[in-house]
Amino acid sequence: MLKRWKIRVLLFLAVLGPGFITANVDNDPNGILTYSQAGAQYGYELLWTIIPITIALIVIQEMCARMGVVTGKGLSDLIREEFGLRVTVVVMILLVLVNFGNVIGEFAGAASSLELFHLSKYISVPIVAVLVWLLAVRGDYKKVEKIFLTASVFYIAYIIAGVLSEPSWHTALVATVKLPPRSVWKDGGYLFMVISVIGTTIAPWMQFYLQSSVVEKGVRAKDYAASRLDVIVGSIFTDVVAWFIIVACAATLWVHGMGSIQEASDAAVAMKPLAGPYAFLLFAFGLFNASFFAASVLPLSTAYVVCEGLGVESGIDKRFKEAPFFYWLYTILIAGGAAVVLIPRFPLVKWAIESQALNGVLLPLVIVLMLLLINRKDLMGKHTNSRWFNAIAWVTAVVVSILSVIWMVGQFRGHS
Amino acid sequence: MREALKITPTLTTMLGTPVTDMEGKLCGRVKDLAVATGADAGKIAGLVLKTRKGSKLVPATGLRPTPSGALELRDGAEILSLKGQEYIFLREDLLDRQIIDVHGRKVVRVNDVDLQWFEQGGLEDLRVREVEVGMRGAVRRLLQGALPAGALDSIARRFPARVIPWEFVDVIEVDPARRVRLNIEHERLAQLHPSDIADILEDLAPAEREAILTTLDEEVAAEALEEVEPKLQKSMMESLDSEVAAGIVEEMDPSAAADLLAELPESRSEAILEEMDPEERQEVEDLLVFREDSAAGRMTTEYVPVAKTATVADAIRALREFDGDIETITEIYLVDEARVLQGVVPLARLVLADAETRLDALADARFIACAASAHEQQVAELFDRYNLRALPVVDESGKLVGVVEADHVIAFLREGR
Repeated sequence: MLKRWKIRVLLFLAVLGPGFITANVDNDPNGILTYSQAGAQYGYELLWTIIPITIALIVIQEMCARMGVVTGKGLSDLIREEFGLRVTVVVMILLVLVNFGNVIGEFAGAASSLELFHLSKYISVPIVAVLVWLLAVRGDYKKVEKIFLTASVFYIAYIIAGVLSEPSWHTALVATVKLPPRSVWKDGGYLFMVISVIGTTIAPWMQFYLQSSVVEKGVRAKDYAASRLDVIVGSIFTDVVAWFIIVACAATLWVHGMGSIQEASDAAVAMKPLAGPYAFLLFAFGLFNASFFAASVLPLSTAYVVCEGLGVESGIDKRFKEAPFFYWLYTILIAGGAAVVLIPRFPLVKWAIESQALNGVLLPLVIVLMLLLINRKDLMGKHTNSRWFNAIAWVTAVVVSILSVIWMVGQFRGHS
Repeated sequence: MREALKITPTLTTMLGTPVTDMEGKLCGRVKDLAVATGADAGKIAGLVLKTRKGSKLVPATGLRPTPSGALELRDGAEILSLKGQEYIFLREDLLDRQIIDVHGRKVVRVNDVDLQWFEQGGLEDLRVREVEVGMRGAVRRLLQGALPAGALDSIARRFPARVIPWEFVDVIEVDPARRVRLNIEHERLAQLHPSDIADILEDLAPAEREAILTTLDEEVAAEALEEVEPKLQKSMMESLDSEVAAGIVEEMDPSAAADLLAELPESRSEAILEEMDPEERQEVEDLLVFREDSAAGRMTTEYVPVAKTATVADAIRALREFDGDIETITEIYLVDEARVLQGVVPLARLVLADAETRLDALADARFIACAASAHEQQVAELFDRYNLRALPVVDESGKLVGVVEADHVIAFLREGR
């Protein structure tokens, strides 16, 4: 009996790969900040979003994994081959901008999590930047992947922190499956929070990263079931973590009326007197892990994706002279992201919001391109989307588009 | 007309160009360019026009560039149907696709195709000059339509061009039936060094790899496959048809073939072995028995043994008759009637000696050999300590069973890093 149990665990771990990593990088500092704010400001009232978001995330990520397996090409390759250079360039420029915004967020997260342990950002950020750069340039994919997989496990820290915060389990579970009363929708802030949560959970870079990783791993069509499971498990795990972050903040900060959080580390600080030093440590550690993890993945994947799409030489197995554009882009993303964080009094929150807006513009575009690609018989053969898949993906694209338009209109009103 | 000719004609600038008849009435627009296959391979067969009656093909000699930048049908120009003939279409098959730059030995993506008008029997004809893969082509693509042709051309010229001459372009076609009709054989690719072909294969998507591997001559495919990294080797072998795979494996060095088959799932390697020639199959199966990390697992069974009483002339004859990869041979082995190893003669000594000299006079008094069961680390140590190029492997009774070559050692040392 024990042996069978062991085999099951091993099988499960063998499956974990690109899908699981991608979904976990998604819980980056920007995500943690958003979930913390959601819990701190609205308590349990946003938990209902988790289930629909998870379904949309699974559907979209599964499409990428499937395209990667069937065509053996990355998403940017496919966009280039099927939609031409102009569309590719537009998508790539948006992607670089959005991802640069995210990279800044990752370094800010790393800095603020280490500041909780009284390490100045002027020391921590350069060290983290150099480590991240070396990790990709000196390590190989297999090893890097193992490090990332191990790092994913540390997200459990958030689940433990959630338990330590002694939430009202009954209220939390009910709020997960029940829509909130209609009155909350009148609150503009609540609506924006819903949009932010969706925006931070389904990000455009994930599609590119996942598909390239699946291609790199060389998964074949007949082993596809394992990759699909990987995607599903990853998406669910990510959103379970998100659920616990919201719950932890609801049970502590919201209960005590401490709704305002400016940085991802604020939640950890505020939690200390309420939930004890362990919850604080776990939150702080989880944040650092998330920041480092995401900072390692994002710049590299961006450089790869852009070079593939534009047909420029790329790859960490190439030397600097052979792939100058690739290395410059990679280095500038890291160095630039780290440098911005070190500017004194840099308006990080404002920057984060604006990069989220671009996220919202890019995401529907990417989903629509993906849907056009995946329904092409000549590319996908019998692996095109089923009607249900198309329905869910189109609904996601439309909802995200509408929400980002509302969100941006709201932002402009807010600014003026 | 001279004016119009000054601007570099490229595929991008050509697409969408209106084509009129002699009276100036619009007949259609340029939709694509068709390149002939077969005897006229590489030549432009004509421009594909999008007309009200569907797509039509007009030979370039039937058109005349006008000063306004449009094209005009000449008197009596033929308008052909696209059916019945197979063409490579520049926009469909080349633009934005990956091609192999046979000269630069890498895979690149096409941004634009440079064309050229030239005089042919008093008529202007069009030919493909080169494929543009750099910034110049990209800029042209991005700005096409946004600026007048002249301005666009002068801006594009400020960017460095990266071009591949048309004769070095190798098109990849995934559909096997169409590949045959298009007569794509990758002859120039086949002339590259196997390692370069392997690098190119690694840069491609699975379907494209398969397309190239099955088109190449089995011997070339086998040599290239040996150089591909093991993980990819495995996945390529698994996706190929077992008959095709067997054909390639037969041509591989037996030790490399055994290593590869050992990595595959049993059912798959059995299926491939089944399709193989009995003789080659036996050799590979013998090697498959050994542990992969032992000397026997790393050795090849392709070596040159001669009787210890033989002369230099006999050895040269044996070398001539050797049907393995002759470049890998660095020494020949002297054996007695029971095939027990008696001595080793380096090739260089053979070259310098007279034809009648007996080989045992040339052999070293002492030679280094190792047991079949020796661990690969031990093998590496021997290579290092005695500066070996090849190491004979013997069984318990001293019989020669195979040879480990220096490149095998380098390969597994790098693997273990």
